[in-house]
Amino acid sequence: MSEADMAIIKPEMMMKSYIWLETTDGSIQQVEQEIAMYCPMICHEVLQKGLGAGSSKNCAISLPQRVNPAMLSLILDYCRFHQVPGRSNKERKVHDEKFIRMDTKRLCELASAADSLQLKPLVDLSSRALARIIEGKTPEEIREIFHLPDDLTEEEKLEPLKNLMDDPRIRLLNRLYAKKRKELKEREKLKGKEVEERVDERSVDDLLSFINGKDHKVVKTSKSKKKNRKRKEHKNKVSHNLHSKQQGVQIVDETASSLGGVSNLPSMEEDIFSLKTDSEDGYVDDGMDPVLKEMLDREVEDFARRLNSSWVLSSGQERQPVHFSINGNGATRRLTAFQVMLGSLILLMVFGWQVPEFCGVTRKVIMHSPSSPHWWISTVKGNSRVRISGLTGTEGGDEWFDLFNIILDEASGLPKFDNVPANREELVRDDSTQAAERAYNRVERALTSSILSFLTLVAPMY
Amino acid sequence: MPMGESPDLISDLPQSILENILTRLSLRDAIRTSVLSTKWRYKWSTLTDLMFDEKCVAPSTDRAVVETNLVRFITGVLLLHQGPIHKFHLSTSFLQCRPDIDQWLLFLSRNGIKELVLELGEGEFRVPSCLFSCLKLTRLELCHCEFDPPKSFNGFSSLKSLNLHQILVSPEAIESLISGCPLLEFLSLSYFDSLVLSISAPNLMYLYLDGEFKDIFLENTPKLVAISVSMYMHEDVADFEQSSDYNLVKFLGGVPLLEKLVGYIYFTKASPIQLFPLEEESFDLFERDYLDYKLPRLETVRMTDVSGIRNELEFIRFLMGTSPVLEAVVVTSSLSDKDARMEMVVELLRFPRVSPRAQLLFLQD
Repeated sequence: MSEADMAIIKPEMMMKSYIWLETTDGSIQQVEQEIAMYCPMICHEVLQKGLGAGSSKNCAISLPQRVNPAMLSLILDYCRFHQVPGRSNKERKVHDEKFIRMDTKRLCELASAADSLQLKPLVDLSSRALARIIEGKTPEEIREIFHLPDDLTEEEKLEPLKNLMDDPRIRLLNRLYAKKRKELKEREKLKGKEVEERVDERSVDDLLSFINGKDHKVVKTSKSKKKNRKRKEHKNKVSHNLHSKQQGVQIVDETASSLGGVSNLPSMEEDIFSLKTDSEDGYVDDGMDPVLKEMLDREVEDFARRLNSSWVLSSGQERQPVHFSINGNGATRRLTAFQVMLGSLILLMVFGWQVPEFCGVTRKVIMHSPSSPHWWISTVKGNSRVRISGLTGTEGGDEWFDLFNIILDEASGLPKFDNVPANREELVRDDSTQAAERAYNRVERALTSSILSFLTLVAPMY
Repeated sequence: MPMGESPDLISDLPQSILENILTRLSLRDAIRTSVLSTKWRYKWSTLTDLMFDEKCVAPSTDRAVVETNLVRFITGVLLLHQGPIHKFHLSTSFLQCRPDIDQWLLFLSRNGIKELVLELGEGEFRVPSCLFSCLKLTRLELCHCEFDPPKSFNGFSSLKSLNLHQILVSPEAIESLISGCPLLEFLSLSYFDSLVLSISAPNLMYLYLDGEFKDIFLENTPKLVAISVSMYMHEDVADFEQSSDYNLVKFLGGVPLLEKLVGYIYFTKASPIQLFPLEEESFDLFERDYLDYKLPRLETVRMTDVSGIRNELEFIRFLMGTSPVLEAVVVTSSLSDKDARMEMVVELLRFPRVSPRAQLLFLQD
């Protein structure tokens, strides 16, 4: 079509015909028609708008935005060379190689301009040149050439595909990232779980109490009565917990008033709680309630812990009842175990004196003879018989004597001792000996009981 | 865009230009552009032509390392890729038979593959059945594979180019494949043994055969423009001559558009020329009867390893006598003996030529 047009044009006008082209900056150029028609876009424009288009300054063909005057002249040079039919392929190639030697900025502009004029051979040529610039260069070099911003994060850069050479490092990084992500997820899950758990438990309790409440009393729709009921039930439960834990601690309902700050907290909780159940869908105020609940629970726990520890340290204080939160078990449990052990140790120490006597453990008895300066220490089993030992002399042997009436055991015959006084009736236990006895025994008992109590302390730990 | 120092030159060019640039880079370089900047991160992922070879991964002396790296690279590229994939070329001897290749082919079959080139190393890789569901294929090239189409396979309706090299396949499968590809224009079969083939391809223009063919019959190839045949000899020449009933005219059944004929190695050794199913080999009949037969467009004939036996000479004579526009007959002789060569040349020069411009050119090896 265009050829036919051009064929018509040429014979008619002997001189070269010109087309007027206008770039976006307003400058108008006059170009030989055949050169301009080499660009498909100009060709189409001419054909569409008729031959009148571009024939004078006034109706110049306006070129697309990306074609600036410098680029236009370059493109026209290109067209001027290539539209001549007689050139060989080799000539064209040589020309192209020379033509394409320009700085990168102009190359990019040229590619863009050629693309908007739909001049495919030139687009290919400039793309090839740009590819040659890019290939084989490091990313930093490429960024410098094309003024690219280095705005990728390190993590993004090290995606597995890009750096095949650095495999172990990337694997490690990925593992670390995965771990971190997991941790974050788990933390979030835990948070979510805690909130949800509390919420769920409460709702079950509420339902139960509600049901129980219904059985006993007439159902009243007023909120305040519900609140009171719940408060009492709740307190009763709490008191139940307390009773089972500690001995000798009494909770009286009147103590509710003495709680002061503590009582307000449970009531506030129940306010929120009732709000929740009163609303249709229990989770209307999602954002607020769980957070507030969490906060309150934590405060209550802290308070309870503080109270618990103070009770343990000063044993015998009854005044302050403790409000145990449902979730505060972990910390307080440990405290009470320690308390138990400590208490048992004290008990053992205190009552350890009595134990050996009741158990029938042996003790030492000291006797002396008035006529001689000797003292005899003998082991006594039970209360009645004395066994004098260690008085061996030449033959040795033990004899049993009755403590109170030192009677010779007839079965053993006459002992032959050196130091035993001939008259055994002389062995007496008088005050001095008894004092010594007591002292001696006390020391011995203390030692054994302390060892025993230590063993009992250690054993439960394992 | 903050115009701090100098503006970005290239990232804002239209996508068509950027793809043009990226396709001219090696795949590895194209993918490495993704670390340049945020805009460049996924510019490569819409490329439709993916060409893989062992240069995509770092070289190493250990084959296994290269293999695993290459597998990982290709899998990674396919996973990160977005959009259709039109060309997939894999040419490497490092990969042989791997289940990963099956998975890649499955992925490609779901992404509109049009050109598939699979050149693997030695080892019988069995082409998975998903290949036969790639009905948009226009070019298929397989090398060192086992090709076993299912019974329900009716051919690739858009296939234009088929290239099978050292493929393990049954002749019936090939015949049905060829006849099931009506648009086939280029056919290349190489490294086959004892193939008996009857080619019926109405659009076929270029035929390239290389191997031991027992019998090739160009049954329906009206548009054939160029033929190149390389045949390999059996061990025993005598047996071969007696046993085969290779028929050249059958071979050149109806090829009115033939322009170029190239015959390498033993092309015509085993062919007793028979124009018609006649028993005797009579040269008079020969001369008389093939005047009606014409190869009106044949321009170039090239024969290598001509050793001057009767069949070959007759064939050349036949060609020269039936090609009115013949321009060049290039003959390369395998004879070492100068005298024998001279005899052959003399004989060849005697043949009448229908074409006024025909030249007989002898090339020395």
